[in-house]
Amino acid sequence: MSGGTAGRRWAVLLVLPALVPVAAVVGAALVSAVLLSLGLTPLVGQPRLSLDAWRGAAGDLGTATLLSLGIAAAATVVAAAVGLCLALAATAVVRRSRLLGALAALTIPVPHLVGAAAMGLLLADTGFLPRLLGVSPDAWPPLVGGEWWVAVVAEYAWKESAFVALVVGGVLASRARSYDETAALLGAGRWARFRFVTLPLAAPALGAASAVTFVYTLGSYEVAALLGRPFPEPLPVMAVRLAGSIDLTVRPQAAAVAVTTAVLALAAVLLALRALRRLSAWD
Amino acid sequence: MAAARRPIAAGAALLALAGCAAPASEAPGAADRPWDEVLAAAEGQTVDLWMYGGDEAGNAYVDDVLAPAAAELGVTLRRVPVADTGDALDRVLAERQAGTTEGDVDLVWVNGENYAAGRQAGAWLCDWALDLPNRQYTDPGDPLLQNDFGVPVEGCESPWHKAQFTLVYDSARVPEPPTTLAGVLDWAQANPGRFTYPAPPDFTGSVFVRQVLTTATGGAGEVPLEYSQEAYDQYAPELFDRLAELAPALWREGSTHPQSQQELDRLFADGEVDMTMTYGPATLIDLVADGTFPDTTRVLTLEEGTFGNASFLAIPSTSGDSAGAQVVADLALSPAQQVAKADPGTWGQFTVLDLDRLDEADRAAFEQLPPSPVVPPYEELSRNAQPELSAEWVAPLDEGWRRSVLAS
Amino acid sequence: MGLTARVARAALAAWLLLPLVPLVLWAAADRWTAPAVLPQAWGTAGLRDAVDAGAGPASLRSTVLGLVVAVLATPLGAMAGRALATYRVPVGGAVLAALLSPLVLPPFAVALGLDVLLLRLRVPEPVGVFLLLTVAALPYTTVLMRAAYAAHDTGFEEEARTLGATARQAVFHVQLPLLAPALAGAAFLAFLVGWSDYVVTLLVGGGQLVTLPLLVASAASTVGNEAQVAVLSLSSVLPPLVLLVAVGLVGQRGRA
Repeated sequence: MSGGTAGRRWAVLLVLPALVPVAAVVGAALVSAVLLSLGLTPLVGQPRLSLDAWRGAAGDLGTATLLSLGIAAAATVVAAAVGLCLALAATAVVRRSRLLGALAALTIPVPHLVGAAAMGLLLADTGFLPRLLGVSPDAWPPLVGGEWWVAVVAEYAWKESAFVALVVGGVLASRARSYDETAALLGAGRWARFRFVTLPLAAPALGAASAVTFVYTLGSYEVAALLGRPFPEPLPVMAVRLAGSIDLTVRPQAAAVAVTTAVLALAAVLLALRALRRLSAWD
Repeated sequence: MAAARRPIAAGAALLALAGCAAPASEAPGAADRPWDEVLAAAEGQTVDLWMYGGDEAGNAYVDDVLAPAAAELGVTLRRVPVADTGDALDRVLAERQAGTTEGDVDLVWVNGENYAAGRQAGAWLCDWALDLPNRQYTDPGDPLLQNDFGVPVEGCESPWHKAQFTLVYDSARVPEPPTTLAGVLDWAQANPGRFTYPAPPDFTGSVFVRQVLTTATGGAGEVPLEYSQEAYDQYAPELFDRLAELAPALWREGSTHPQSQQELDRLFADGEVDMTMTYGPATLIDLVADGTFPDTTRVLTLEEGTFGNASFLAIPSTSGDSAGAQVVADLALSPAQQVAKADPGTWGQFTVLDLDRLDEADRAAFEQLPPSPVVPPYEELSRNAQPELSAEWVAPLDEGWRRSVLAS
Repeated sequence: MGLTARVARAALAAWLLLPLVPLVLWAAADRWTAPAVLPQAWGTAGLRDAVDAGAGPASLRSTVLGLVVAVLATPLGAMAGRALATYRVPVGGAVLAALLSPLVLPPFAVALGLDVLLLRLRVPEPVGVFLLLTVAALPYTTVLMRAAYAAHDTGFEEEARTLGATARQAVFHVQLPLLAPALAGAAFLAFLVGWSDYVVTLLVGGGQLVTLPLLVASAASTVGNEAQVAVLSLSSVLPPLVLLVAVGLVGQRGRA
């Protein structure tokens, strides 16, 4: 690895073109939202520093946070597990499945809004699946708009499993095969090869992709809005409902919810980075 | 950490940029000038009309009928489809806050909620709609054109079409429908699982709750249009009690509600419930024609009547092409355009014009329109029509419903 | 291949495909009401409606938007990924966290002040859209390229340098071809950020760019448009797929 001052300067130069616009946009967006939530940039009335918006939103904030975290965690776990399997199948040494790779690629460009519509058509009480299985709407569990947010989690897990497969598969394709072949030549069994070669190689990418999935799900609105239920509501749905209120003075509350979402997501990113640093190949 | 200092510096800069003050809530007025000059100024302008894009018939009318007619007047009409009119309002409010004068939104198809919200921040241009030449064909005393959601219209938006809040049922599944809203609630309780309504603040669900307040519970027929805390305290509790009592008989035992009219329509189309509701009955024509709704879909006219309103075209106070926008709004109000739009084969929207003020030929054109296969004529639908409660009622009722009915 | 493996692969294929089945059926359905398992009437109404809604020009605009975002975000992400994976970046952890931070911004937060700021600064609408979407795409390209560089064997480059190649030659003739699959993946994800965005394109773009997601969102906001939504959706899957095949070919050539 390159070190020294020249290396450092070179590294900074390489990073800055990405870092500057990111810092500017994210900084400006967060500061704008914080100012709005503190009553300093109201749409109507005089600017006045106050915590009213935070107080107003506080009542529902706890439930919304728990619900959002729950949905994001469930979707991430399923997406990571299925995505890893897909990546393994698509890059396996023996009988590599080009078909699964292609199908995963097919799923990635589907926008979440469309994915939500598709999941609704599939899983609703009178959706394609109950019709196919011959189950009457009354007997079908309430997957869409039900208490357990099944359709919402399923949509995120479905879409993001393909994303995980893309990221992990990319690493495995470029790297794992040669190691795997070497290990096989040295006589390692299938399980041992998976446990000691493939998994450690895949782990950093898997961890990073999972973190991205978690944070994305936490802040995403349309799927929960289309396939969820009106109460209780996850953070983004709450924020959009408040932002769209006929009463413009409620908008600072939406900003407070958005800031809460961003802070939670930031904490998740930092935790994930910390965990990733422990994985040898990552740092 | 540099990252920690950055927001503070940026915050100071932002405060300066934000200028600290909210935009004035007084709406700016349009320049007072003869119509000839407006027409001349409009020549060559491109008008961006932001409108809800989910209504295919409406899109087709604007693209194929209104836009070509505007082109003949030298105005290019560009339709920007949005999933929710609130998106258009968001853009206008941002432009308003930034003090833009050459904004990207020139005309918006608004309903009462968006209009009332925008008025709070002076988002709409005023002093123009009453001066449109074709305005002479409307009735100045028409209450639907004087107030929109209890907010005075005052030349800040130009009427486009009339609408009536309407319950819709499947006559194959409800052979003997109730005739009053109180009767509908009783019917729902007698037929568990076959009825529900969208959760406010969905527009339609919100209207339904207000309709129950004004005609089926509380002070049926006596709730004051003007909002006051006393009126709310007096009438809202009975409303919420009635709806809570109804809840166990609703779809999924009322443990949840559809989140939008769209979801309710889907339940109706799939036969999970027997009734749906809409503030835009014109859409029913297409829904039945393309087989989404059954052929036996019927409109339920209530004895005591329902809310009626008009929807309008509003010009944002930030519009850079407001002359062109006025020309389009005037064109949209012309007898020729209104009759084309009222044709059930085109869009089927009820006219805002007063037929008595039209000349013989125009009136004949309206009278010769074919009847809609699903939607009764406006006279029948709007019998005993009631004015909407004022906009201040909306937020407290929506919030109260969330707390008292949904969350309990 | 054992039976278990076969079943597992079939299950994975079903997981990926099943949600798309109703969409594909709807795209060719003129009428499909419950409880019929298959459409009662097949036809091209959805296609016709989609064309009427302006799907053609809209997908062209979406393509341009996606390509611009990919062209901007891929090299920036690759450079940052390279720096983070192989050089010692001062406070590397914080830098990485900052580069991932656009992920924590929910898209709707744009309407809570950022749009006003861009208007005040008189940033031209297209520039604002490109800037915001590129920033939104950078976490993806950075993560992907960082992982690729971390797994990348610098031995080949060093060998090339030993054999007399310049640093530039080593990057363009050895490093980048080796990383072509990862670069293609990163470009693809960045493309999708531009391709599928609704909020930024509409609110910051001021409605000047009517892209495919705007049409999809409008059509999907009511019942009765299922066929049109299905056609629009499938047509929004095809171009990225073509792109994917194209970059896949590039990637394979790079690997060979």
